[in-house]
Amino acid sequence: MTRLRVPYVEKIWRIEDSLVVEVPLTPDEAFARLDPLFQTDGTRYAIEGDTLGYLKTNPRAQDKLATFTSGTLRVEPAQGATRLTYQAASTALLLCFLAPLLFLFFAQVMEAANQWERAKAEASETAKKNKPDEAKDKPLPKLHPIDVMLGAPAPKDPKADKDKQKEPKEKFKTTPAYALAGLFFVLFLVGRVLEPWLLKRTFRQALTRPHGEAAMVDGGSDDPDPARAAPA
Amino acid sequence: MAGVQVGKRIIGADAPVTVGWENIGRVQGGPLKQAFFTYFQPVVLFALIAFWYYAPNEWALASVGIWIGLGFKVLLLALEWVNPRYRSWQLTWKEFATDLFYVGLGYTALRMISGYFGDDVMIEAIQGAMDWDKFTWFIGLPLLVQAILISMIFDFGQYWMHRGMHNWYPLWLTHAPHHYITQLNINKGAVGNPIELFLIGLGIGGFFDFLPRAFLIAGAFGMAVGTYQHINVRFNTPRWWRFIFNTTEHHSVHHAQDYEATRSNYSGTWILWDRLFGTCVDGEAELLGMEGGRRMDIGETMVFPFTQAWKDMKARREQRQGLGGASAPQLEPAE
Repeated sequence: MTRLRVPYVEKIWRIEDSLVVEVPLTPDEAFARLDPLFQTDGTRYAIEGDTLGYLKTNPRAQDKLATFTSGTLRVEPAQGATRLTYQAASTALLLCFLAPLLFLFFAQVMEAANQWERAKAEASETAKKNKPDEAKDKPLPKLHPIDVMLGAPAPKDPKADKDKQKEPKEKFKTTPAYALAGLFFVLFLVGRVLEPWLLKRTFRQALTRPHGEAAMVDGGSDDPDPARAAPA
Repeated sequence: MAGVQVGKRIIGADAPVTVGWENIGRVQGGPLKQAFFTYFQPVVLFALIAFWYYAPNEWALASVGIWIGLGFKVLLLALEWVNPRYRSWQLTWKEFATDLFYVGLGYTALRMISGYFGDDVMIEAIQGAMDWDKFTWFIGLPLLVQAILISMIFDFGQYWMHRGMHNWYPLWLTHAPHHYITQLNINKGAVGNPIELFLIGLGIGGFFDFLPRAFLIAGAFGMAVGTYQHINVRFNTPRWWRFIFNTTEHHSVHHAQDYEATRSNYSGTWILWDRLFGTCVDGEAELLGMEGGRRMDIGETMVFPFTQAWKDMKARREQRQGLGGASAPQLEPAE
């Protein structure tokens, strides 16, 4: 089946790269070294000649391929060395790219709610004017003598504040929604650069590691070993 | 696995849990690092209390508190890199992005829902219906006493809501997704189904009148104690602190893969509530989560209470009708 390709747009969530390690490896040897990366929960993979295809369903947090949940790897000789060509796709990167839209949507809903609240407040303003001002009747809260002795500032007079407050307060502040939209965009850019780099490093470390040593680099095993339940 | 008897319960029979303080890890490194991670928690708490106590009225604002809170979180994220409790809890880009999504929901969608259906709205309705004013019993008390009361009253509500979630199946369905987190990081407290996050945020503090400054000091307890529930930093927490306050250690036991361990340490800030009601287990755990540490993705988290309820109802109906269908394993039965 031919897969629909969208060359430039696909770069959002798809990467294509290659690396050369100065060790001559057959495809079988290379895949044996990479094997621990695929011996994790929720991973399916198949090898056909010099190509390996994998798919991870909701991998664990510390899975080295957690961000790129599907991909194909191809091993070929390269003048006494080995070239690994790979392409991988990341749902996480795509969702992170789309997340700002969701938060912009929330901001718009909040704006709409604020407008509705303003209209409601204006409508009931006349009714409020006829009501006695309860704040005027309330005595000014006082500090406990201990607090006075320790020098805590006295509470401010709410009536003095009332005169200052001309602008009506918004029910929902939209700033967090806009800030989050921006934050997710930055996070996408960071992830789009960092994660492919980490993936390449993981593959390189796994391939250059002497045969028999675990390829789960840096974080130890995928599953925290109970015996290793000691402080980092 | 043998487990350890704590009261009438066996903790750590299903998955490893370190019970007691004797075998808890200590901060490794030079004297400066040791001192920093020993005194950091109390110094920050007392500094925050002092700040809110003496801050001039122009500074004593909720917005200032939000900025301090954000700055504090960034600092704690940095500490997670400097001195992680467990490498197996290391924050990754994907985990951070996922956690941030839930934090974002809290600041946007949940805030809107709470704005119309939250505890403030409910309390206002009750006060209106009963023609009650706020109870002004506490407003004349010293500021610190007021702050501790606010914090403890809120935490008392959280304790029972949380305990209810572990003991009543409909509530558990909303809370279960939060127990699928497999590591503790600074934003993991926000991870969960929005219904649960709405419910756990409900409090009864709105019935009482306190000085605004007391609320800010109470916020300092939440920030400088409650935040440590979900964090991947190793501290040499003082003994007195562990006795009074909830810690990462306590909360890691609550999130352990061991079933009995999860039924402990329900409070958010004051572990004293757990000590008082007999649910406190001192100790820590590294292996966290449910179903052997299966990670739950965002999509499943959002629909879990409904899909799981449907599965359970279907299984029960089939059982009642004697269809003999294998009943779906109950996630965690209520008592």
